[in-house]
Amino acid sequence: MWNYEKRLQFPVKITRPCPRTASLIISQFGGPDGEMAASMRYLSQRYTMPCKEVGGLLTDIGTEELGHLEIICAIIYQLTKNLTAEQVKTSGFDAYYVDHTTALWPTAAAGVPFNACEFQSKGDAITDLFEDLAAEQKARTTYDNLIRVIEDPEVREPLKFLRQRELVHFQRFGEALEKIKSDLNAKNYYYFNPEFDKQFIRK
Amino acid sequence: MADRASMLQEINETSFMVNDLTLYLDTHPLEEAALLQFQKAMEKRKELLKAYAEEFEPLTMDCVCPDTNNHSACCTRYAGQKHFTWSDGPLPWEGGSI
Repeated sequence: MWNYEKRLQFPVKITRPCPRTASLIISQFGGPDGEMAASMRYLSQRYTMPCKEVGGLLTDIGTEELGHLEIICAIIYQLTKNLTAEQVKTSGFDAYYVDHTTALWPTAAAGVPFNACEFQSKGDAITDLFEDLAAEQKARTTYDNLIRVIEDPEVREPLKFLRQRELVHFQRFGEALEKIKSDLNAKNYYYFNPEFDKQFIRK
Repeated sequence: MADRASMLQEINETSFMVNDLTLYLDTHPLEEAALLQFQKAMEKRKELLKAYAEEFEPLTMDCVCPDTNNHSACCTRYAGQKHFTWSDGPLPWEGGSI
């Protein structure tokens, strides 16, 4: 189970609302490489992971991603606080506003709603860990794209923190993959599925 | 009078050490230097959370103690009354401004 802690992992204090920026950052909430897809991916994959340490790592990273989802939502919330109707009309936020006012709803920046097809839970440890490594890099690229076009330091600082965490998670997933491989036949890591053909796993 | 923002900042920094070391130790469970750092950061985090809850609102359910929480009566509708202190303080996404 989970316990809530009443603070953000990294503080968000935005004093200059900007709905246009919010409509870009929302992709890291409900977009293809966003934090919701990240946490759901790891927290779904962990049950069948054949190695207990890797199941534990997926739990801990999946949990941190929930905290990142909260940081992203706090940024969007603060960027769209106390908007006037005029600001809605001129900021490119009007299409989102029609359906959600200023509430948080998971969607990509281009308007594609969050979909479980954004991530995979394949039931093969090698396949899933490569998916996780790729996911961290895709999220890192998305943060790079945001940081390149956003100038406000109050928004950039939490985004830079989140970008760094993608790198750390990539490193840890790389170590997890090595750990899984150490239990397999080094002559052919792809000979069987370690989550299904368990009789082949070295004890 | 303790400063709310600086105490929270110290909790964030110490908790981040715990978060980052947790992931490191998940893949390096026998590394002694990391284990020692983890233990130190965790002890400090517990002390900071306790001190913060005495002065302000509890940040975790384990810190909820209506008799000792929030001496400064900061951001509560029930100052001076025994009450459930979990709802004291600002919501985290409000930006920490009171």
